[in-house]
Amino acid sequence: MNALIVEDEKSLANEIASYLKNEKMICDVAHTGMEASEMIAVNQYDFILLDLGLPDYEGLDLIKEAKKAGSQAAIIVITARGAVEDKVKGLDLGADDYLAKPFALIELYSRIQAVARRKFQVNTSDVTIGDFAIDINARKVTCNNSEVDITRKQYDLLQYLVLNKNKVLTRIQLYEHIWGNMLDDQYDSNFIDVHIKNLRKKLNEYASTDWLVTVRGVGYKAVID
Amino acid sequence: MNLRLKLALTNLLFKLVFTGLFLVILPYLSERINLYQTDDELIEKREHFFNLISEVGIEPFLFSDSINVFGSYNILKEEFISIEKTDIVESWNFIEVTHRLIEGEVIEYRVLNYTFRVDGVMYLLEIGKSLSSISATEKNIKRIFVIFLIAFLIISFVFELIYTRTLLVPLNIIVRKIKTSSHPTSYNRQPVKTSTTDFTTLDSTLSELMDKIDRLFKKEKEITENISHELLTPVSILRSKLENMLVQEDLSENALIKTEEALITLQRLKALVNSLLLIARVESSQYLKNDTIEINNLITNITEELKPMAEEVGLNIQLNFRIHKTIEHINQSLLFTMFYNVVNNAIKNTPTGGTVTIETACIKKQFIVSISDNGTGIPVNEMESLFLRFKKKKTNDNKGTGIGLAITKSIADFHNIQIKVESIEGKGSAFEFLFPEE
Repeated sequence: MNALIVEDEKSLANEIASYLKNEKMICDVAHTGMEASEMIAVNQYDFILLDLGLPDYEGLDLIKEAKKAGSQAAIIVITARGAVEDKVKGLDLGADDYLAKPFALIELYSRIQAVARRKFQVNTSDVTIGDFAIDINARKVTCNNSEVDITRKQYDLLQYLVLNKNKVLTRIQLYEHIWGNMLDDQYDSNFIDVHIKNLRKKLNEYASTDWLVTVRGVGYKAVID
Repeated sequence: MNLRLKLALTNLLFKLVFTGLFLVILPYLSERINLYQTDDELIEKREHFFNLISEVGIEPFLFSDSINVFGSYNILKEEFISIEKTDIVESWNFIEVTHRLIEGEVIEYRVLNYTFRVDGVMYLLEIGKSLSSISATEKNIKRIFVIFLIAFLIISFVFELIYTRTLLVPLNIIVRKIKTSSHPTSYNRQPVKTSTTDFTTLDSTLSELMDKIDRLFKKEKEITENISHELLTPVSILRSKLENMLVQEDLSENALIKTEEALITLQRLKALVNSLLLIARVESSQYLKNDTIEINNLITNITEELKPMAEEVGLNIQLNFRIHKTIEHINQSLLFTMFYNVVNNAIKNTPTGGTVTIETACIKKQFIVSISDNGTGIPVNEMESLFLRFKKKKTNDNKGTGIGLAITKSIADFHNIQIKVESIEGKGSAFEFLFPEE
């Protein structure tokens, strides 16, 4: 998958590009709206990561341009302005997702994967981990064909860990993924620990959860060979 | 009571007082009118009599010398006329009320006394009209007056109601414009058509005010957006750099933990900026209020999310829904945050074995959500600053930014929800959310 990163903060653009390259994505970077406009007109991208706060360009206009040029790219809007209308307008114009700064790089990558699953019908409907099978479309977990009864939040946690297998997810990253930005102020590292503890307990009733590893002082990791 | 009814009622009251006063003086007034009228008639009859005398002389009235009195009255004794020779020398010309005995009946008359001389003989002319006949006309006059006045009152009241309605149409339009616009931006600025200058001034002044508020809102929004951008961009860069370090496989465990600690500090900074921005955005009305939700569902969702935390510390969350209430024109995620913060606080401040109770009820048409606990309570000296930013309890934990209740307050204000707090230190606290009456 190739992506165009439109971000005027060079330092941030480089970090995003470096992370995504690590995930085997091909990345172009545009630091100005003009540059981006030209690149969108010339190249075909699977993804455009668009920062709306460009000094020289109305970010939302780039979405219009891309659509007009017949670009099939999925667009993920990034903004630090965080105004409510920006989100609504962006999605109205045909953006596929919206992310407020500062976001976790792993969250960005997860969104890219989610949009890819939705938009390009990448089939990942069944993921297995240990003795468990996760049906992403149906949002169900089964173990030896019997359904595991877990809460919505527990499922969200499990799916996030499993889709980002073999990566350490920090508590903050997990918290933000599940509770979003509105409850930033209520963040409590204990929160995730309690949810993971309950999830483990529930899953242990069916099979071993040795694959769900606690990384001391940092977070959690789903280890899959 | 609206202006139109007030105007009509005030006018009616004024007219009633005026009419009442008129009715009180009416007997006296009509009596005076009647007397003048009667006196005029008596004088007219006198003139008529003298015309008759100048035509036929006085003799026909005086049959002989022996009978020197002429008298005549009609059947019902309402009027009489009499002429007699008299010894009076001075000339009489006056009208008085006297009693006369006629055929054994004493009757009160208004009588004109007049003396005149014919052929050297002095005569006294008396023309009388009975007072009972006078009061009969008086009664009629009164009746007509009363009927007329009542008719006048009713007609003028109805007329005023109709007239003021037409007159006040522009004002009603202006009032409706204010009521229906939830935000200065959505205020209908189309001028109201009216020839009343007060209304055009009111209308245009309101529009100008709305424009001004709107401009200020936009400016504040611009400022928050810029601050937001300026503050969050560096946080974003730092975060990305740290996270990229975190995924490096050759990182030592010690460096890993240090990096995570830096990320936690960054999260606090981010939470702080986002919380302040949330308050600024709520206070400048940047959120839409177009959700319709069932409050009990919202509360159930919140408690479902917080239940694991409560269970972890051995707390019981009790839901007591006395009423199901669907509320319109609200922002669902803001309301979620508002209740969530208070429920989360209650859980944090209640020791093992305690209970957090959430109730919905309707008291005197007002919908109320109350969240109470039997936890540590709030010290009296902290009650006043409870909703102020950064005024957090002097506890040694480092959790939260101390801005949660300030967020709750600003969201409540945004939705016109009143918050009442009662707390006894050591016994527990109760937060009541009073929704605006519909």
